[in-house]
Amino acid sequence: MEVTELSKNELCNTGMEELDVMLGGGIPTGSTVLVVGSSGSGKTTLAMQFLINGAKQGERGVFFTITEPLFKLTKNMEGFEFYDKKLIESGMVNLIDLRIISERLGLDTEKYTVEDASALLDILRDIADELNVKRLIIDSITALCYRLQTPEMIRDFIFKLGSSLAAMKCTTLLTSEVPPRKFQYSQYNIEEFISDGILFLGDIERKGDLIRTFQIVKMRGAAHSRTKTAMSISSKSGIELMPLLKSRE
Amino acid sequence: MANVLIDGLKERISNAIKINQSIGIILPGTNYPDLIQALFEHIQNNPEEAWVYITVTKPYENLISQFEFLKDAKNIKFVDCISRAAGITKASDNCVFIESPTMLEKLSLEIINIFKEVDENTKKYLVIDSLTNLIIYNDPDIVTEFFYYIINRTRTKDIHTISLAIEEEELDKYLNRLIYLNDKILKVRDSFI
Repeated sequence: MEVTELSKNELCNTGMEELDVMLGGGIPTGSTVLVVGSSGSGKTTLAMQFLINGAKQGERGVFFTITEPLFKLTKNMEGFEFYDKKLIESGMVNLIDLRIISERLGLDTEKYTVEDASALLDILRDIADELNVKRLIIDSITALCYRLQTPEMIRDFIFKLGSSLAAMKCTTLLTSEVPPRKFQYSQYNIEEFISDGILFLGDIERKGDLIRTFQIVKMRGAAHSRTKTAMSISSKSGIELMPLLKSRE
Repeated sequence: MANVLIDGLKERISNAIKINQSIGIILPGTNYPDLIQALFEHIQNNPEEAWVYITVTKPYENLISQFEFLKDAKNIKFVDCISRAAGITKASDNCVFIESPTMLEKLSLEIINIFKEVDENTKKYLVIDSLTNLIIYNDPDIVTEFFYYIINRTRTKDIHTISLAIEEEELDKYLNRLIYLNDKILKVRDSFI
């Protein structure tokens, strides 16, 4: 596939220096990207840092969570220097608990019918539209898909969500939970086919210690790196990437 | 006699690091205390320089209690690779603790991050204490890869490096290969005392 170089305003800068270099400047605007990893791999942190960095550049964002209550999410994020409460208070970053929305819509929060999924999709679109967001997160698509009952429903949901957000030039990150040490991208094996990009957060074992790793598996329209790098998460800098030492152990 | 040795070491290090980007110091274990004393005294006497000291040999707390003047030194930051692995959890503003000496990528990231905060015009120095101990905790091949990376990265950032290798009867074959990546080798001998 030929990749044409995108101009700066066609790219959504993640604000994470090394990641933007690996992406060739940023994520192509309007893309739907899966952020894949096992529990504790840093998916939520990466997604939140992407959102906060966008808000700091003047791009409004929304974070839909379905995995943890908002108070827990914010408590975990407060430890990071990149997190800025004022961005939440000013409405540049919006945090929304999807379970509360489902309850308010009178949906069964554990199981969605086709109609429920459609209503939820409309709500997501309306919120994104009304807030005029340029960055959107769903944490996690796995937990959401768990409530959709068939692969067709999942496919339909993600596809419709992706196309309407792309039309709004909104860049979306969907976090995807996978079992540890498995090189698979999603729980339902559908999510990756609908997504424009895949960021894989893994780890390798070295002398019994786990070294975090990061890899861009796919990013449509971008001349991106495919190198596996080491990843660090620290309260000071959030996500940082660095070359992975590859000598055989 | 010890002072003569330490003064001599200080002079040799000081002269070598001025004209070489990277120096390797090969020394017998018995001279290790003298060498680090010489290094720390040099750092204390040159407050205009910025130093990062990687310790894989002694915990930071131990170094500080031995050389109390380092506590208030503003021109040195430590990266301690062994305390956390040994269950020592004390924190310090002047030291970054790495969870394990196997986390070499994290170590290189911390080195670069510390130097990022140093003024561009300040002379910058990095000490790796020691390659010998890094090889104890890691496979030699990965230490070699790490050392290549650090040497090249610091060269591009105009950071001078000093790496220590403890020699007993003869230098480990991996260390021998590594240490000679430096621009200059200083050999410290017992016989100087």
